Amino acid sequence: MDFFILSIVMMGIGIYGLLTNRQLLKVFISIELIATAATLNFVMLASSMSQGLGQAFLMLAFSTDTAVSGVVLALLVIVTKKYGTSNINEILTKQEEKEIEAEEYGD
Amino acid sequence: MILEILSIGLLVSACLALFLDDVVYSVAALSGTFLFTALLYYVNGAIYAAIFQFVVGVGTLAILFLSGEMLSDKSTKKTSPKKLSALIGVGVVLSLPAIFLSISSSKGAYSAASFGDALWSLSGVDVILQALVILTVALGIAIILYERRNGGK
Repeated sequence: MDFFILSIVMMGIGIYGLLTNRQLLKVFISIELIATAATLNFVMLASSMSQGLGQAFLMLAFSTDTAVSGVVLALLVIVTKKYGTSNINEILTKQEEKEIEAEEYGD
Repeated sequence: MILEILSIGLLVSACLALFLDDVVYSVAALSGTFLFTALLYYVNGAIYAAIFQFVVGVGTLAILFLSGEMLSDKSTKKTSPKKLSALIGVGVVLSLPAIFLSISSSKGAYSAASFGDALWSLSGVDVILQALVILTVALGIAIILYERRNGGK
């Protein structure tokens, strides 16, 4: 049983989801999976090397991860309410339409 | 044996979390991912990490359930059983390299330096306090953005 390979595979799943999913919340879940894979590797390595410091540093990783989650979720809610959708492609299309309208009115 | 089962469950739940169509089911699968991760920590002797992972995971999932309910489209189609079984199969296949291949021999061991020593003697408290400061700043930024959004109407 090798936790290094396990965390690599899990990170690969997260990166694949990050690249393929178009829903904002799924992108966020992908980022969570990547962060979980990184912390998994960190804790397992520290545990196998008998280092208790790994668990203490894990708290830093979790705290920053939770802070990032709060900011990202706030941004997700704001963007979804502003554009009326959580699909990245539709958001980009609406943004381009707005820019074109602004240019036309500007001219 | 239990480590293999936990690793299979971890990767299967990760696949389900990413590729299920309904966001609420995805968040439910993500809760399984957090639970299996905490169990892996516990089995390998990292008890404090397991408890912390579980507690933080519960908080994150509560927020994710709420925002998933707010943000998801109500007209999303249900995941077909064929796709569900395919996702579970992919998760099981992806967990096979971790079970049968080995880069280094990593066996679980309890920490020689205790959690208290790591926390108090090796600057663990400083790290936690820095994390609290970062968390406060992040929450402040989120509140400012939210207020600016409301004020812009």
